[in-house]
Amino acid sequence: MTIAYVMMQNLRRNRTRTALTIIAFALPMAIFVAAISLVVALIEINAISARELRLGVHHKTTLVNPLPEGTRRKIEALDPGGKRLTAVCGMRWFGGKIPNESGTIQSLAADADTFPRVYSDAELTPAEIEAWNRDRAAAVVGAGVAETYGSKYSGWKPGGRVVLKSTVPPYLELEFHIVKVMQAKGQANVFYFRRDYLTESFKTAGIDSPDCNIFWVKCNDAASLAALQREIDQTFANSPNETKSEDENTFRAGFTQALGNLPGLMRAMAIVVVVIIALVAGNTMMMSFRERTRELAVFKAIGFQSWRIFFVVLTESLLLALLGALIGIVPTTLFLLSFPIRRMGYLPISALTVSPWAVVISVVIALIVGFAAGLWPAYQALRLKTVDALRRVG
Amino acid sequence: MSAADIVATSVRKVYHKDRIEIPVLDGLSLKIDAGEFVVLMGPSGSGKSTLLHLIGGLDSPTSGSIRVGEYNLERMTERELTAWRSRHVGFIFQMYHLVPVLTAAQNVELPLLLFKMSSAERRERVATALKVVGLADRTDHRPNQLSGGQEQRVAIARAIVTDPDVILADEPTGDLDAKTSEEILALLNLLNSEFNKTILMVTHDPRAASHGQRVVHLEKGVLEREERNPARPAMAAS
Repeated sequence: MTIAYVMMQNLRRNRTRTALTIIAFALPMAIFVAAISLVVALIEINAISARELRLGVHHKTTLVNPLPEGTRRKIEALDPGGKRLTAVCGMRWFGGKIPNESGTIQSLAADADTFPRVYSDAELTPAEIEAWNRDRAAAVVGAGVAETYGSKYSGWKPGGRVVLKSTVPPYLELEFHIVKVMQAKGQANVFYFRRDYLTESFKTAGIDSPDCNIFWVKCNDAASLAALQREIDQTFANSPNETKSEDENTFRAGFTQALGNLPGLMRAMAIVVVVIIALVAGNTMMMSFRERTRELAVFKAIGFQSWRIFFVVLTESLLLALLGALIGIVPTTLFLLSFPIRRMGYLPISALTVSPWAVVISVVIALIVGFAAGLWPAYQALRLKTVDALRRVG
Repeated sequence: MSAADIVATSVRKVYHKDRIEIPVLDGLSLKIDAGEFVVLMGPSGSGKSTLLHLIGGLDSPTSGSIRVGEYNLERMTERELTAWRSRHVGFIFQMYHLVPVLTAAQNVELPLLLFKMSSAERRERVATALKVVGLADRTDHRPNQLSGGQEQRVAIARAIVTDPDVILADEPTGDLDAKTSEEILALLNLLNSEFNKTILMVTHDPRAASHGQRVVHLEKGVLEREERNPARPAMAAS
């Protein structure tokens, strides 16, 4: 037998209370680790976006308002030598879904000639670029989309054929030939295809609508991006189609904030959770200490030093916290790894894989809470006067 | 097997409550020979338990001195007193105070965790202690699976497992029926007579007191009188 064994046995003293306390740690920790993973994923995606140096140019009023096709030429004219911008890619929202499925896929028609250069993070090989250029129905899809629908339908792999039906008028139903499944984290939930294919399909349906919802401008460096952002908006100022240019991070943040400042909410929730479990655990440890006051006094009487009693009480609290954290974190991690949340609306997150940092931070926080919760009872145990605890009249 | 004598000289203990001095022991002097079985009696508030606690190094006298064997307790720090208790004193309490989540053997083993010894040696000592108290067949029982008398036997085994010089028992039969009390007292007698332990026992019960070699009566913090028990003459100290 060791002191560690005695501590473990102490946790079995009131099993219901121990179990409830562990659950009180475990549930918030499960939420906590998922929340941190989400924030970490967003930060990671934002870092990737920042590296890509893309500027999104859309109508100043809303993204829904189209910009004429000629906008691209005017943007390109700002840097005829190509010193500051690599290429401009016009895009139009298709909003396709698999017929008879409910979820809309983030599907966009992109300028065929510039897409491979503007979206270099799609990592198209020369053979894939050749296939993209040759086949008007070519499509490049994110790994998240391919995995989500690939498990139910055939065709969601390179060389496969898929059909999407638009959710916006005139509700075109188009067949696409997949040439690439993108592994880039920031492109996991997107489906790109050629805009000339869409324009032609519109014409076939009797609609002449070559407009774009957004033009992505790939810049050569950060300074050029900042300068072009100003220049583009100045160029279209006081015109019927005034623009709003944003870097990709800001553009994406707009979608994230539409969900209500998710990272901020996550952080606030995390703080509330930590405070609540600290109170719950503190109360439990204090109750446990009060119940055992005489027993701890006997420990002192038979020769256990005060610091050792302090250590025992504090370690019991840390053990509870650690057990709760592990019970909360391990299943959450396994769940997220086994059943990834492949689609997060329009958030550019393919899967909430648990980052090691999320696990480490959660365990550290649980231990801090366990320490804080056990500190006062442990101090009381340290200060416990044996005779007072044992005293009877006599 | 070892025993220590106890000498308390002019011991005074005063408690303070709301700035009021409450004298509990008032210049008490007492000498207990090594290997003697002494019973402390007296009404509630007479200072019996306080004296027991002072002799056990759980508290310090306001003035006066207490020597147990070669140790002058009033000169020792709290840390030193705690270490001394672990090796030289065995405590037995009225309410046993066993750890409910540990088995009888594990409860007895607890004080040995403070000693550097192999687990085999610990097991041997625990087995011996439980055999002495007649519970060799109850080693794996938890306190809630034992009777009150058996629990007190486990507590006694816990008190003797370190082979202390002195056993201090505070109302060890106070929570037991008459028959079980007799068994516990017989066990204390055995520890005194066979293992030569110095025993100081606090009790209200005259029948329990009759097991001691000497009965010391306290009254308002002073030694009122003492009686020798002719049925149990004192043994020579080892």
